[in-house]
Amino acid sequence: MQEISEKIAMCVERGKISKTSPFPPDMKDQDGADEIAAQALKDGLQPDALLNGCMLGMERIGKKFSENKVFVPELLMAAKAMTAVMNHLKPFLESGAVKQKGKFVIGTVSGDLHDIGKNLVSMTVKGGGYDVIDLGVDVSSQKFLDAVANHPGCFVGLSALLTTTMINMEKSVKAIKEAHPDTRILIGGAPVTQDFCQKVGADYYSPTPQGAVEYLNKCVA
Amino acid sequence: MSISGLTIIAESINDSVPSTHALFEKNDINGIVELAKFQAERGATYIDVNVGMRSPGFMADVVKKIQKVVTLPLSIDTPDPEIAAAGLEAYDAERAGNKKPILNSISEARLEMFDNYSHQPFIPILLVTEGKDESGEVKMNKTADKTYATAKKMVNIALERIQNVSNNELILDPGIMPIGSDSEGNFKRLMDSIKLIHDDSDLEAINMSVGLSNFTVMLPPKKADGSPVKGPLESAFLTMAMPLGFNTVIGSVKRKYELLDENHPAMQCLRDVLTMDGFDVIMRVMSYYS
Repeated sequence: MQEISEKIAMCVERGKISKTSPFPPDMKDQDGADEIAAQALKDGLQPDALLNGCMLGMERIGKKFSENKVFVPELLMAAKAMTAVMNHLKPFLESGAVKQKGKFVIGTVSGDLHDIGKNLVSMTVKGGGYDVIDLGVDVSSQKFLDAVANHPGCFVGLSALLTTTMINMEKSVKAIKEAHPDTRILIGGAPVTQDFCQKVGADYYSPTPQGAVEYLNKCVA
Repeated sequence: MSISGLTIIAESINDSVPSTHALFEKNDINGIVELAKFQAERGATYIDVNVGMRSPGFMADVVKKIQKVVTLPLSIDTPDPEIAAAGLEAYDAERAGNKKPILNSISEARLEMFDNYSHQPFIPILLVTEGKDESGEVKMNKTADKTYATAKKMVNIALERIQNVSNNELILDPGIMPIGSDSEGNFKRLMDSIKLIHDDSDLEAINMSVGLSNFTVMLPPKKADGSPVKGPLESAFLTMAMPLGFNTVIGSVKRKYELLDENHPAMQCLRDVLTMDGFDVIMRVMSYYS
């Protein structure tokens, strides 16, 4: 079981999606995350082992990303490999046979149509073992409130790329905190700072996707 | 030296640049002025001024202080109509050799910015990455046809709103996205948009611009062999786009923009990307810098 987790982790960390995927070149023609996950389930292995492998692989690549040892393309390839595994896990996640650590609602705030940063956090948090509800871009405070009401106990992540939409981020944080004071809110995006986080009353500012996962893990520990 | 015919709107005075943000936070306007001087000396055509969410009065003050020492025209960079109005009002055209400032930028969602023209004429950057759909909702233009349609619409609106202006006093920004995360064909959309705009005789002589540094953000600065990654990719884009009428960048004066040979690895990378979809693009970009 540990061996499979490690194999999956390696594929996720290196971005090896499937046997036919040419990347990374030194793993050419080897089985990727897709084949290893399929075979493991066929052999009757516990699906938890696959999820653990994803979490381990995403944690490793997330740390390297935080340290500027790898860049966005490598992180995207890792997330793609993780998704190949998650596709096999879908029925187990839906039936509850495999438990995730919590729910994470994420969206880019109202007036902002940028999604790259939001998607990177979304993928990394998913790889960290959380059920991610992605509300997309240009998300109003009301939409965030509806999602929190529909997913009690969820964490919320707000993203903004534009300095001009940070004001909408502030409004959404305040609206969520007013209606659901116990909800933990994470914020991020190019113009966002720790000072801004404190000013608007959010719980956590993370400059990196992995930082968000580490904060969530502390909360659920 | 830069490329002949390429207008550079120098990008450094922008609140989203961490070192500039720090200067703003310390209210170090002398530092901002020095930055303007440095960019002017390094070949900028315009100096962009983006003060983030600070007050209209702050924008006016920064504009005045920069113009005391720099005679280049400025680019007033804000989506906020009040900050834009303050920056334009403070702008002294005479000091800049009677050259109009640029207003960066006007989109379909903020047409009221044209109202400032009567107080201080400007060259608008018309942002065409987003447009209103049939229901009036603002959405990202995900195809070249939609980008081009918004471009046509915005040019018509501009020509109606500001009288006696010709195409060569308008700048279209069709938007450039990071190539390192381009799994949705954005680079292809951009190049096709530029071609559609170029081929339209109604849009003849129109200027086109993008925030070029955005193209290579999120990529490593150097290849494994130590050679630069970002400059050649940005130059490769210019080499492909300038023959299609593209002529302006919001970019760095520190970057050595140049036209590349067709067999330059960065050119080959971008040519390949145009033939690829999805994650093949990501893998191709990675193979360029690995």
